[in-house]
Amino acid sequence: MRAWAARGGMLAAGVVLFFLLPHVVSDFRLFELARVGQYFIAMLGLYVLTTYTGQVSIGHGAFMAIGGYTTGVLVYHRHWEDWRTLPVAALVAGVAGLLFGLPALRLRGLYLALATFAMAVSVPAIIKKWESLTGGSTGLLFATFHTNRWYYDVTWAAAGVLVVLAWIVLASPVGRTWRALRDSEVAAASFGIWVPLYKTLAFGISAAYAGLAGGILVILSLGANPNSFPIQLSIYLLVGVAIGAFASIPGILVGAAFVEYVQVYAPKWVSDSPGIPTFAFGAALVLAAFAATAVSALTIRWQTGLKRGPAKETS
Amino acid sequence: MRSIAIVLGALALASAAAGATRLDPGVSSNEVKIGGTVPLSGVAAAYASVGRGADAYFKYWNETHGGVKGRKIDYEYLDDQYDPSKTVDQTRRLIQEDHVFAVFNSLGTEQNLAVRALLNGAKVPQIFVASGGLTFGRDYKQYPYTIGFLPSYVAEGTIYGKYLRAQKKKATIAVLYQDDDYGKEMLRGLEKGLAGRGRIVAKQSYDPTASDVNSQVAALKSSKANTFLIAATPKYAIQAYIQVKKLGWKPQIVVNQVASASNVMKIVQSSVGSLANDSVSIGFVKDPTDPRFKKDKVVALYRTVLRKYQPSADPSDVYNVYAMAVAYEFVNALAHAGNPPTRDGLMRAVTHMNDKKNPFLYPGVVVHTTPQSRFPITQAQLIRWRAGHWNAFGRLVSAR
Repeated sequence: MRAWAARGGMLAAGVVLFFLLPHVVSDFRLFELARVGQYFIAMLGLYVLTTYTGQVSIGHGAFMAIGGYTTGVLVYHRHWEDWRTLPVAALVAGVAGLLFGLPALRLRGLYLALATFAMAVSVPAIIKKWESLTGGSTGLLFATFHTNRWYYDVTWAAAGVLVVLAWIVLASPVGRTWRALRDSEVAAASFGIWVPLYKTLAFGISAAYAGLAGGILVILSLGANPNSFPIQLSIYLLVGVAIGAFASIPGILVGAAFVEYVQVYAPKWVSDSPGIPTFAFGAALVLAAFAATAVSALTIRWQTGLKRGPAKETS
Repeated sequence: MRSIAIVLGALALASAAAGATRLDPGVSSNEVKIGGTVPLSGVAAAYASVGRGADAYFKYWNETHGGVKGRKIDYEYLDDQYDPSKTVDQTRRLIQEDHVFAVFNSLGTEQNLAVRALLNGAKVPQIFVASGGLTFGRDYKQYPYTIGFLPSYVAEGTIYGKYLRAQKKKATIAVLYQDDDYGKEMLRGLEKGLAGRGRIVAKQSYDPTASDVNSQVAALKSSKANTFLIAATPKYAIQAYIQVKKLGWKPQIVVNQVASASNVMKIVQSSVGSLANDSVSIGFVKDPTDPRFKKDKVVALYRTVLRKYQPSADPSDVYNVYAMAVAYEFVNALAHAGNPPTRDGLMRAVTHMNDKKNPFLYPGVVVHTTPQSRFPITQAQLIRWRAGHWNAFGRLVSAR
């Protein structure tokens, strides 16, 4: 139960911060924070996939695009209220993730990463071709927009719900099965676990998170445009999760903030020559790879010290 | 939750209203802050000079003239990577965090469309949009705070259509165009200008993020057209020329203005040699590599300004001249926007322009607008590539 107490504490801190920040930072900063939230949600999905099932994806930008365009189409063609489209965006991207998860079963490690990368490259092109629905290169423009506070509220309320959902899933038998799979597929199968089901399920859930984040991206961007889902987006998401050292939800938060603010402030503070943000991401990734080992070693020592005994999973 | 948000929103509005009794946002006693987005990185980074050149001109103007009516112009141009969602973020930053007076010279059709409702909703002028999208000049009733600058792509296409109709009675035309509003408007203009004479025998579109256009050019060549219109951005236009050369096709080439900067054409010439000769395009700003302007005082000034304020810029890059032309016109408009300048005053000024003396434009090109006619530049010069530079031919033509 200790873990749940820690999670409760984290959630309470999050809620306090959520209500406190709007009184501290400027109106525009709230919008920036909504962007951080958008990355946070997508990375949360990626984090579950990589950390708990050991599957790597450099293609989550594609699931964001699928979710984003679901929101775009529903708002533009069907005149839905924008935030109401978010569950549908998650659902559509989730189904896409399940479908992608099937062929992904045959791939692992680097090969899976390459397959997801191919998807990140192809999805924006497919979206553009489907012009009657997606508006082609012009995209779908929304006529209405909200206050920055609204964007902040909606994004972080969604993020809060999704964090709790992730905790529930990870603590459930599904989560335990994932961990068993990650450690050894053969051992898991010998316990009677149907491996394909759980691996595709992980892809589906992870893609649903990305899809919802994509819906938020489109709402924040006042419309859907294929240029908003470049290949860099997928890479940035992975870098963000890596910066969080594949470790914890606060780690993801740092990663999400890093992705948003480096893109904005690296050109401003370092140099506005092209490629500076990308360089910063690359450098951060290398550093994170070195730091990750050290940090995770320290974290484990700290956690085990805290529990006054060997670490064990709670249920 | 919602009611709290509403109360907070109302408070914010009330405090904003109380603070805005004297000066419009971005205006102080000694400064006017404006901003815009340009792609400094990403697929369209070639257009970065549209921001950098304007910045150089404002710095020059501030130093030599002390700004406009004692207020220096502070121009903040931010990178949007040509991604409309980034344009939205950066434009929000400009109007909500940096509190700019006006958004000026932001580049790209989709990029400007993405923020048009936002800016008009906030009554922030969206001035001299760097796009030939027809909508920026046409739809002023719905978006009164928006105005473009360069001739529309439809107008440019029409010029080529009329030219081909007059020059070659039996022009069979192949068109390469970008698969978006810009490319399609150019194509529409071409059809309009041809008015039934001259045939478009093949058209191929490419995706604005595609890696190359080789297969499109090959398909166009197989149509055996004798004229080839390249309605593409610089990278793809260069590729198209190279592919035409490789395939041994020898059409009359017409290349659109967004890819016909001299520095781009120099790359073309070094790759395809004499095939570049007799290419036709339009221009409306003075080309620094045109020998006609070798002794032109303004072109000399342009070089000095660029060297001093943007030392790493390429002076043969004609987008720098475009940038200075648009910056010059902004200075002009700001001088007529009231003292202290107001946003509404600025909109009044940019919809009542009649400037025959913008020195960066081709001689004779007039900047003219009325509240009902919001295309500042409606004239252009046909130009032909020979001996390593563009040569003007014929009179100014109407581009509307």
